[in-house]
Amino acid sequence: MTTADVAPTGLARGLGWFSVALGIGELVAPKKLAQLIGIEEDGATSFVMRLLGAREITAGLGVLAAPQRPGTLWARVAGDIIDLGLLGLAAGTKRTSAPRLAAAVAAVGGVMALDIIAARRADKVRDAANQPVIFSVTINKPPREVYDFFRKLDRLPLFMDWLESVTETSGTRSTWVAKLPVGTVSWDATITEDTPGEAIAWEALDSLVETEGRVTFTRTPGRDMTEVRVEMKLGFSGMGPSAKLAKYFAKPQIKGDLRRLKQVIETGEVLMSDASQHTKPHPAQPSEEHDKAPKLFIANETTAVKGVTP
Amino acid sequence: MRATTWQGKKHVEVVQVPEPQILNARDAIIKITATTICGSDLHLYNGFMPSMQKGDILGHEFMGEVVELGKGVKNLKVGDRVVVPFAIACGNCESCEMGNFSCCENSNPTGWMPEKMMGHATCGAFGYSHLTGGFAGGQAEYVRVPFADFGPIKVPKNLTDEQVLFLSDIFPTGYMGAEFCEITPKKVIAVWGAGPVGQFAIASAKMLGAERIIAIDRFPYRLKMAAEKAGATDVINYEEQDVQEVLRDLTAGRGPDACIDAVGLEAHGHGLQYAHDVVKQKAKIQMDRPMAVREAIMACRSAGIVSILGVYAGFVDKFPLGALMNRGLTIKTGQCHVHRYMKPLLERIEKGEIDPSFVVSHHMNLDDAAKGYDMFMHKQDEVMKIILRS
Repeated sequence: MTTADVAPTGLARGLGWFSVALGIGELVAPKKLAQLIGIEEDGATSFVMRLLGAREITAGLGVLAAPQRPGTLWARVAGDIIDLGLLGLAAGTKRTSAPRLAAAVAAVGGVMALDIIAARRADKVRDAANQPVIFSVTINKPPREVYDFFRKLDRLPLFMDWLESVTETSGTRSTWVAKLPVGTVSWDATITEDTPGEAIAWEALDSLVETEGRVTFTRTPGRDMTEVRVEMKLGFSGMGPSAKLAKYFAKPQIKGDLRRLKQVIETGEVLMSDASQHTKPHPAQPSEEHDKAPKLFIANETTAVKGVTP
Repeated sequence: MRATTWQGKKHVEVVQVPEPQILNARDAIIKITATTICGSDLHLYNGFMPSMQKGDILGHEFMGEVVELGKGVKNLKVGDRVVVPFAIACGNCESCEMGNFSCCENSNPTGWMPEKMMGHATCGAFGYSHLTGGFAGGQAEYVRVPFADFGPIKVPKNLTDEQVLFLSDIFPTGYMGAEFCEITPKKVIAVWGAGPVGQFAIASAKMLGAERIIAIDRFPYRLKMAAEKAGATDVINYEEQDVQEVLRDLTAGRGPDACIDAVGLEAHGHGLQYAHDVVKQKAKIQMDRPMAVREAIMACRSAGIVSILGVYAGFVDKFPLGALMNRGLTIKTGQCHVHRYMKPLLERIEKGEIDPSFVVSHHMNLDDAAKGYDMFMHKQDEVMKIILRS
């Protein structure tokens, strides 16, 4: 994160400290505070005031712990709305001082405005930081070789174990078939960018699940290895693909996919263990049957494994 | 086949399990002719290593005969007698290219687990929890060995099992610990723990030319072996003597030039700090009891080397980071890069520079593995190294 991204947390921090201080006041001196905002004190008022104090302190500490996160700031806004509601209820009863109550409403309103400003700033910073790079991996082969392996789309199911098949139908079009928990799903994808040895991008927009993705292949500084980065956006029909959703839904899968891609290119196939050959947890002991199997051994093909002698 | 399985804390059982099959093209199936219980198996036995599952086959130090090969293995043939490194390494990734085999990037199918706990994935290993891949271990009749075209080494017929078996783990591990110490004749080396790895660290330090080697333990029979067989020049029994004081006296105030921790996460000790470790470990708020490494750091000569071979699992408290920083110590550590050392150490055995069989204390049948674990755990019958055969 750059300094520019970090800077706007000053207001959030101020609000955090304010929240903690107000909370302590409400906890320690509920009667005095009730007086100050023009509410005649009784037992119930003190109890509610102390509850609000505890909430203020929790919210304040939450903001101070991570002033860059919008979530806790929006929680403060929700708290302000509750406070305004309570003040409204108090105004309906007789034992109140109207001018003081009005001042309290104005004060809460003012703080709420600041909370909203801080929360929206945090939202913006977070969106700006929301890069579409989902995951990356370094592969011990030159970029051109890794690109060539990846570009033969029918090989993708070798390491993307949720895919049944990918068939290239024309130069840029391909049909993807996946086994998902909901059943077998098929869609068409189009390659939108293809720079040999550098990048491949695709989109699949005419289906229930819309995806847009880009894979880049960059030479590692000083060594003839490849840094593979996957960018992806995902959405559900009509809403437009978003990087946030892709991170949420696709990241765990893509992490595994990239780890397996590295294994396939570097060692020839996906390594299985006694436990990992099963979808469900399984002890580390052999079994007669298993539900996963490596699909191809390519050690003697063009992407030959270059061995090291220990 | 029969296999030693983990059934829970302090409970192992030899049970019938299916025989291993070739799963990957670079696999081999080995018929085990000799295997051992390693000190680090006790961490699993005592339940200090996370991610164990009931039924896991234990054992990571073994040798045997090749009985089946995947189509990708060209350098071995059925009938070859091989010793298998405990760490699994592919030989293709950048870490392997650099010789850091225990950091192999492709051998751990459950790499996401250590990635969460330790920041990055570790290599796969046989019979050592699901953090290291969930591979069945070698305390069994047969075992599947992945990347068999890269790991196992063939051993000559004229050497006995007892002479070559420990190339699988403890000999290279002890040797690496000594190598970390940048030994020259004038250097004083102290070794915490005179168990099998400690013995090999001492023997290796001697082989590399250290003139003064100090062994630290609490069992007289282990200290005796360190002095008589491995080559320690001095011994300290920490039940009877103050380690820091004796080390200071032995080095006239300098401290050892290098300190090797061959103890790990189940260290014993005395006093408040030890009690604090025990309580925290029992309450599961600290995985390790780092007494030995703390002592090693405090004792080590300024600008000296602390070599950590003992296994640690998680995060520790009361770690003397101030001593480490202000006195310019260097820590060197790691799971052993076994593949790096197997051939050179086999050559040393062939030349007669060392005979690793000196640590063997017991031969048992695989069926008695549970008895072996209990005995090793309680240090009964002067146990040092147990060899299991089926």
